[in-house]
Amino acid sequence: MENKFKKITSLWIITVLILFVVAIILGLLMRFNQGGNIKLDPVTFYTDMTIHGLTMIGIWFVAGMAAVNYIMERYVRTSYKANLIAYIMTVVGVLMLWGAGFIGKFHAGWTFLYPLPFKIMWEQWATPLFLYALLVLGVGWTIWTVSLMISLLKKYTLSQVFAWQHFKRDAKPEVETPPFVLISMISLVGVLSCLITAAALDFLLLTEYYSNGGFINDALLMKNLTYFFGHTLANEMLYLGLAVIYELFSEVSGRPKWKTSWYVAYAWNLTLFFVLFAFLHHMYMDFVQPETLQIIGQLASYLASIPSTGVTIFSILVAVYGTKINWNLANLMFFIGTAGWVSGGIGAVIDATISNNFLLHNTLWVPAHFHTYNALGNVLFSLGFFYWFSFQLKDGIIKDKHSMLKILLIVIGGIGFLAAFYFAGADSVARRYANYPEEMASGKFWATFGGTFATIYLLGIILFIGGILKRCFGFVFSRV
Amino acid sequence: MFRLCLFTSIVMLTILPAQSLFSQSLGDFREEINIYNTLYDAPLHLVGGADVSLHELAKDKPIILALVFSRCSGVCNPLVLELKENLRMLNLQQELPYSVLVLSFDPWDKIEDMQYMAERFNLTNEPDWYFGVTDSINQVINSVGFKPIWDEKKKQFDHDALLAGVSTKGKMTKKLLGLRNSKDLRMLVQSINKVFIPSYRLPTNTSIFTCFNYDPETGKIVPGTGLLIIIMPVLITWLTVIGIRMAVRKKTT
Amino acid sequence: MQSLLLYLFLILTVVSTSVFIYVYRSSIKAGDKDGGLTNVLTKRMWFILILFVVLAIFFSATVPKSPYFMFKDEIPSKSVNVTAGQYFFYMSYSAINPDAPTSEPIELGVNELVEFRVTSRDVTHTFAVYDENNQVVAQTQAMPGYVNNLRWKFEKPGTYKIFCLEYCGAGHHIMRGSFTVK
Ligand code: HEM
Ligand SMILES: [Cu+2]
Repeated sequence: MENKFKKITSLWIITVLILFVVAIILGLLMRFNQGGNIKLDPVTFYTDMTIHGLTMIGIWFVAGMAAVNYIMERYVRTSYKANLIAYIMTVVGVLMLWGAGFIGKFHAGWTFLYPLPFKIMWEQWATPLFLYALLVLGVGWTIWTVSLMISLLKKYTLSQVFAWQHFKRDAKPEVETPPFVLISMISLVGVLSCLITAAALDFLLLTEYYSNGGFINDALLMKNLTYFFGHTLANEMLYLGLAVIYELFSEVSGRPKWKTSWYVAYAWNLTLFFVLFAFLHHMYMDFVQPETLQIIGQLASYLASIPSTGVTIFSILVAVYGTKINWNLANLMFFIGTAGWVSGGIGAVIDATISNNFLLHNTLWVPAHFHTYNALGNVLFSLGFFYWFSFQLKDGIIKDKHSMLKILLIVIGGIGFLAAFYFAGADSVARRYANYPEEMASGKFWATFGGTFATIYLLGIILFIGGILKRCFGFVFSRV
Repeated sequence: MFRLCLFTSIVMLTILPAQSLFSQSLGDFREEINIYNTLYDAPLHLVGGADVSLHELAKDKPIILALVFSRCSGVCNPLVLELKENLRMLNLQQELPYSVLVLSFDPWDKIEDMQYMAERFNLTNEPDWYFGVTDSINQVINSVGFKPIWDEKKKQFDHDALLAGVSTKGKMTKKLLGLRNSKDLRMLVQSINKVFIPSYRLPTNTSIFTCFNYDPETGKIVPGTGLLIIIMPVLITWLTVIGIRMAVRKKTT
Repeated sequence: MQSLLLYLFLILTVVSTSVFIYVYRSSIKAGDKDGGLTNVLTKRMWFILILFVVLAIFFSATVPKSPYFMFKDEIPSKSVNVTAGQYFFYMSYSAINPDAPTSEPIELGVNELVEFRVTSRDVTHTFAVYDENNQVVAQTQAMPGYVNNLRWKFEKPGTYKIFCLEYCGAGHHIMRGSFTVK
């Protein structure tokens, strides 16, 4: 593989990891403020919250994309230029976001729910800067997504790229679609829909901003668009991570490569469809949304879990059960991440039930479940890839150091951090509260508790990424 | 890449005018005034001779109450006319029974004036339609939350077009302000028949379209143009995917 | 109810995590020759079928309990207008003018059907009702331009608190209100 791809991938990894540590520190500040251990003024808290959310979503999305791009080079030629453009635009976009937040004090939350961005409670220029930052990120990522699609479609026909030739039970097609290609394409399609929605949303917001009151948006429509974009993107991030696992899990475990079977093909094609409707569960408490859509929301949220658990999770368990495997930190991260993903999914299905959502909506239960499949799920998928990749820069042989310690810190820290969210959420403590009123006193205790464990998690992360960063930096500045 | 940018901007430009139809302000809160109040049980004199009280009249069938005055040169005539047309079109009587009471809020109106009005609209022999006057009109309009103002110069009342739904217990379940479409009217007829309406949009001058429109046929809220905007990104995505494949296939062959 | 959901979550998570640990240990113990699971496809289909049935049961049991269907065929004996705004809840028995909102103390009867008619005068908020044990009992969104109707019967007398659950700006966490049930 060409070295320039290794270089750009290293660059992505370095950037993601540095931003990750910063964003975790913002998270810790929030948690300790909620616990009353430190004192931030509310504006600072909500600014931190907005930046934390956006940064985290942004970096784990590009981490997934970078990993998929790197591995895709095995099957098709991808565009180095698009990759680089996306990198530059991501860095610029993140700097703009941070400027709007840290300097301009923009704090409408990562979902910037309409009409909050227009109730200016910050520097006048922060709102347009924020909207343009989204535009820069959106354009960069769209170019990247479309370019990866072009690469795949140059080699595979439409039916091949979606593995339709595998639908028949005993099919032995001439052209086989590797699961990695199938899942990447399915994720890219979802990603593109999100990005177009985000563009429409951004466009509507900018229009209202410049119309001086001549053009006003509809709050319900904007909320639907916001969550179609926000929820679906968070979902697709995870799928990008899964594409990598389908490719690498067997490889780093020293087992035969996974193939696309008929049920894998079916499951992922179904996912392509269900994932579009799951966002509706964010609208349950908007009684104005038609009841039919609310029920479709619950149905789609439930059904979305069947192909993923039935196929992906089952496949991983089957691949491991009673089978000798070369365990190392890379496939352990994949394995633990899958377990974390399942736990987060359980929390999600409970909350995606309308009658439960009536009680849990926007309590800490929400950050509880999405942090589960991020902090102990998708992040671990990407970290596993980073780890594996960093050895590719040398001889490709993975050498673990202190693996037990790293894993224990991450897992124990992570579980404590997440448990605090779940317990507080089940005690009706609200999410996105800078300080808890006395009625939510238990939130304070859990915040300190969660913050403490999150510190342990951070420690584990720093230990884990130290070696990766060293190898990546070394490679970027080497003259190969 | 250029073509892609062009494509997206065209799409964006088509979304914009669609969205402008959604424009709205906060909505007119006056529609909410006195909802679920028990209306004043006024003694009514109805055209045709009967004297009943408002609550007695409502007992059989819940009421759609239209407040008008006979000399009105403004909104009263179109209000009654549209009500007649819309009710005929909706044809709800079997499923959701109601009667209509056209009541004068003008203390100077006599029963003869209302009789004449009923004749003008050709509604004298229509079952379920009542025209009438009352001596306690002030108590009625207070309990409805309706405030006509006499304009001495024009010799007219300055007032809103208003329909109120009255349940069989004499409670006001819903109001409609302004001239409204049959969908909203259906919602009112449902509400006096105890159908729970979890949510609705407040009226504004410009709100013609909403994200979800109320379908008079089924009584369910059906996805309107707004939902299309949500589906659009998915459509564009697929068009892009198919477009890419067609473009690259041409190049390789 | 909330604690029930927490237990459900904890039980399911412990079970699923145990499966992962068990599978991991089986791999550690396995020798070079061990072939793993047999009859994978049949087992997989059983797994999917059971999952499907469990979800279907859960679905049909919970959907009728959705708030949009509650107290559907009754006419409420009281209605309370609620207008949310940064960072207040205005509550009144009569309609609230968003340009000059006013509030009055609200008192409801035990087991009386009330309808909260909820809207907003600026950004989206939530009208979330907390009971005396500080647990959420009911909620609905307050969206500008729309009225959301929340129907409820309070079974226990006491002071109920209102909090906002939709992020609405830097004063989000100080937004509150209350009413009594007698
Ligand atoms: C140990 C690491 C982390 C810590 C300490 C942390 C902490 C927090 C805290 C305290 C909040 C606010 C919770 C509230 O609503 O009161 C939050 C929100 C959030 N976090 Fe994290 N987090 C961590 C990791 C992550 C990761 C890995 C992601 C990946 C996607 C993530 C994404 C988000 C998002 C999207 C929000 C919502 C922001 C908003 O409400 O606008 N976090 N986090
Ligand atoms: Cu709020």
